[in-house]
Amino acid sequence: MNKGFKKLFIAAALTTALSAPALAEEFIKIGLGAPITGGSAAFGKQLLLGAESAAEAINAKGGVNGKKIRIIQGDDACEPKQAVAVANRFVDQEKVDAVVGHFCSSSTIPASEIYDEANILNVTPASTNPRVTERDLTTLIRVCGRDDQQGEVDAKFIHENLKAKRIAVINDKDTYGVGLANATRDAAKQLGVEVVLEDGVTRGERDYNALVTKIKASDVDAVFFGGLYAEAGLLVRQMRQQGLTIPFVSDDGIADPAFVTAAGGIPFAEGTYMSFLKDPRGEPAAQEVMLKLKEKGSDAEGFTLYSYAAVEAIAAAMDANKGVKDGTVLADWIKNNDIDTVLGRKGWDEKGDPKTNDFIIYVWNKEGQYEPVQ
Amino acid sequence: MEWHILSQQIVNGISLGSIYGLIAIGYTMVYGIIGMINFAHGDIYMVSAYITAIVFAVVTFLGVDAVALSLLITLVITMAITGLYGWYIERTVYRPLRTTNRLAPLITAIGVSLLLQNYVQISQGPNVQGVPSLIPGGFTIGTADEFFRIRYMDMIIVTVSIVAMSLLTFVIHKTSLGRQCRAVEQDRKMATILGINTGRIISTVFVIGSMMAAVAGELVTFNYGSFDFYIGFVLGIKAFSAAVLGGIGSLPGAMLGGLLLGVLESIFAGFVSSDYKDVFSFSMLVLVLVFKPSGLMGRPAVEKV
Amino acid sequence: MSHIPTSTGQDVALASVVPKSPAVDGASATRSSIDFKHSLKDAMVAGVLTMLVFSPITNFILQQYSFKVDWFRTPLFLNGISIGLLVAFVRFFVSVGIQTETGERFTQKYLTAQKGVEVEDEHADGMQRLKKILLWAAIAAGIFMALGLSGVIYLGTAAAVVLVILFIVIAMGVRIPKRRGMKHPWKGALPVLFLVGLVVPLVFFYFGIFGKSWANNLILAMIYVLLGLGLNIVVGLAGLLDLGFVAFYAVGAYFLALGAQYLDIGFWTALILAPVAAALCGGLLGFPVLKMHGDYLAIVTLGFGEIIRLVLVNWIDFTGGPNGAPAPSPTIFNLEFIRRAKGDAVPIHEFLGIPYSSDYKFIFIYLLLFIISMGVLRVFTQLRVMPIGRSWEALREDEIACRSLGINHVTVKLSAFMLGAFTGGIAGVFFATAQGFVSPMSFNFFESVLILSIVVLGGMGNAIGVIIAAFTLTLLPEFLRDFAGYRVLLFGLLMILMMIWRPNGLLRAKRPVFEREEVSV
Repeated sequence: MNKGFKKLFIAAALTTALSAPALAEEFIKIGLGAPITGGSAAFGKQLLLGAESAAEAINAKGGVNGKKIRIIQGDDACEPKQAVAVANRFVDQEKVDAVVGHFCSSSTIPASEIYDEANILNVTPASTNPRVTERDLTTLIRVCGRDDQQGEVDAKFIHENLKAKRIAVINDKDTYGVGLANATRDAAKQLGVEVVLEDGVTRGERDYNALVTKIKASDVDAVFFGGLYAEAGLLVRQMRQQGLTIPFVSDDGIADPAFVTAAGGIPFAEGTYMSFLKDPRGEPAAQEVMLKLKEKGSDAEGFTLYSYAAVEAIAAAMDANKGVKDGTVLADWIKNNDIDTVLGRKGWDEKGDPKTNDFIIYVWNKEGQYEPVQ
Repeated sequence: MEWHILSQQIVNGISLGSIYGLIAIGYTMVYGIIGMINFAHGDIYMVSAYITAIVFAVVTFLGVDAVALSLLITLVITMAITGLYGWYIERTVYRPLRTTNRLAPLITAIGVSLLLQNYVQISQGPNVQGVPSLIPGGFTIGTADEFFRIRYMDMIIVTVSIVAMSLLTFVIHKTSLGRQCRAVEQDRKMATILGINTGRIISTVFVIGSMMAAVAGELVTFNYGSFDFYIGFVLGIKAFSAAVLGGIGSLPGAMLGGLLLGVLESIFAGFVSSDYKDVFSFSMLVLVLVFKPSGLMGRPAVEKV
Repeated sequence: MSHIPTSTGQDVALASVVPKSPAVDGASATRSSIDFKHSLKDAMVAGVLTMLVFSPITNFILQQYSFKVDWFRTPLFLNGISIGLLVAFVRFFVSVGIQTETGERFTQKYLTAQKGVEVEDEHADGMQRLKKILLWAAIAAGIFMALGLSGVIYLGTAAAVVLVILFIVIAMGVRIPKRRGMKHPWKGALPVLFLVGLVVPLVFFYFGIFGKSWANNLILAMIYVLLGLGLNIVVGLAGLLDLGFVAFYAVGAYFLALGAQYLDIGFWTALILAPVAAALCGGLLGFPVLKMHGDYLAIVTLGFGEIIRLVLVNWIDFTGGPNGAPAPSPTIFNLEFIRRAKGDAVPIHEFLGIPYSSDYKFIFIYLLLFIISMGVLRVFTQLRVMPIGRSWEALREDEIACRSLGINHVTVKLSAFMLGAFTGGIAGVFFATAQGFVSPMSFNFFESVLILSIVVLGGMGNAIGVIIAAFTLTLLPEFLRDFAGYRVLLFGLLMILMMIWRPNGLLRAKRPVFEREEVSV
């Protein structure tokens, strides 16, 4: 009995000794809640890169109110339980001044309640579920768009451009995918498009041939998929391999060159449509940032620049309200002021959503890049 | 029910089922010989997918252009390295636990599974990786409106699986090594008394299982074109269910279980609901086991009193 | 027949060997020549094999369709070549070291340590043992508090560790069943410790060193203690390998969440009803698997667990699907733990006249969970020495002998499942209320495996071991958070090392021993 006791004692001593607090220096601590491990780790990497680049750039110009920004990462693996643990740690132990996070809406929703209780500013760069900002929280700001807006744009495109009368709506059975697929389905029904088939695929599985055959049997004009790039790529590839040539439309979850890899090459990915916010990489403000990111080996795909903009928004709010750490005050300031970010000039409404949401439709082209549909 | 849709689903199912079968072999052989569920087996399959891609990239880089030749070289090297993985893991992690209770290796296998997943994730990055599409195209059977496709890749999968299975069955039943494997499986103590190097045989079984997983890994990588570090997990559970369905410890059972699972899953997903297809698979497994407690082709466990 | 020549041959060999190596000085002469060549060969083989295994993944980095070779990759522990070299060095030194005299002594000691059955009389010198345990606990607690107060580690972390130590000490006392007519050394200590266990968190909280963050972590750890105790009955005592235990956990949690949504069930009602519902599910699971053994049982239970999870994910209309469902917080006599009053519920802080803090809810849940875990522990310890507990263990050892003695294996198996499920249901209710919502993602196969690891690591059947393992496996990932990306990797590695070091669990399962009372005629 004593042996086990000793072992626990030593193990605990060793590991807790390593959780020592840093030497007290004046930093602005911004917590980054993102999936660093797990199935969505690729997106976590984007968020981390964007946030750290923004912090570097701002620190190079003197920081915020003379203090430098430090990004502290917290891994939630896109799991609500870990998101809560990360949120508690940010609030109680690290005592952060603001939070950029999280990525998955299912993580942001519980974590944001903790930040709201602690009155800490919380800016999410990528959670698009409408419920995120519909809960009367006073410290939450969203940099990306919402699923319901995106769904409308998708449905409109399917109805007007593709002239599809019967469609299949597939989701990946996760919060984001289901939310988006439902939004598109509802908007499509309103426009008079018939949703013949609604089904789901399991994340982590790779054989969707049975579903593809089912789609073939249901004789639809187009397929909409709500989900992320790994499943979207596999689905479109297996569709094409079975001889199904109907258009494939998806959402901003596939806005990453990894979609081309997941689809197995440009021939399969070419011609896929997706809805995404107006590409930030075309903005003049983004060019310099892009160069810096290129040096780090990144093409600023997906949500990298959103994470960058989130840090910029936090820094701007803190700069304008010198010394104020009250999350509600900072959030209110953001809602009442436009900020110049790498995504362009952004303004927010009272719910914390961006005022302008130009979701547009892109198509993946022969070079493996996405370009706006004319 | 349109015949072409049903045929397509059956083709899908056979292709999917062959993969399940190949991986189920690894589970069933290891369980048969040391009574351990090797949870890390799915992740060995995942590692083999990565190694396939790496070796293929290197081989192409070195100038081998012919598709068949590069595939063959890749297969051989991948099988060798994956076999080495299996041997290494068995030697370092499982061997010290051979004399302990049944559950210790099980939990250790979980640890190994976690380790492999994260080690690959950290080393190679969490992104999806892929291989170029090498063998597109296939046969189209039917009219322009009602057709189903048998892709070349499907045929290759089935052929390679059959060849691998036959080779393995030949080795198990006709060679001395196979005889020793069967002896150790039936009664380990007696086999040791008779002079068989049990330790080496167990390691060999792990290696064979890993090599089968490597074959599956290569087939799957070139079939689906992409993979990431998480693919071992779901497939591992499915393949293990297939092994149990067919009767654990029985090689033809593993293949049969795999095929059955694949076909039934595809048909259910195609005609009823893709959402609930896993519920269906597991329910079916439970039903079969309730009526035939040792699986379809398993030998009923004889309990000596 | 063939024996005789060989034995005589051996005798001859022996006879020729004996004069050559008399006792001590000859021994040291022959043994001091360490076989360096052999060690070197060993080391090189090990190193090369390690390199071959690790370097394809670490040194050839895939980049979409091409690759990049990085022979000198840093950090070094991610480089297959450096790992291989390290393994070679270590192997060489170990191999050489074993061949020296001190090395041989060390291996002898190590090998004999694992074998053998220890017979320990639990009640010999009970008072002294109690004092020793209390002393160790006090020292450990003192060290951690000192570290925390001086700022070397976070104060909240120190407080949490102290509470864990306190819990374990109390659990050690609880699990000793009372003997008739014996002076029980823990008899006086136990109630005192229990009260201390209730008061200390409040004191910590008052001084602001035990807040929501660690309360939440400890709540989670104690939930896993409950789960571990429940699965301990099924796997540890009854020997039924259950890989789908998370299903009962999910039933408990969703009962609270969906019950609140559809039937207006509050926390306290759910705390009573949900375990019953979970136990019913346990019985339902038990029936079909009565005839199954060993690993068939495992896969069927795994299937059950997955079926429950998949139904929860896909039945969006009823369960909320992947979004999950919210779960209510506990209330004390209709006083709620919220900041602003909704409806006519009175917030507790207004009732007591104290400022609002989001910590109250978690402190309350922690204390409630503490009391209930202690209760469950007591009940289970008692059950173990009762006929039902003994039937479980008998069933595990030999089912056929059990049945031939007249023990109804159906009731025994069902009772094991149902009791385990009951505990899982309790844990589920606490989980739902502590987190505020439930989602199917928290109830996957990996959770079942984690709970099973807790039971196996703790030593199957040993309650204290299960408790220590639960705390270790739950709090370790939290402690390791400073390692960011390598956290899960280290966790997996530690799990492997722990299992290799202690394959039978941290603590050995102790059978309760009854002393015969001396009866004088």
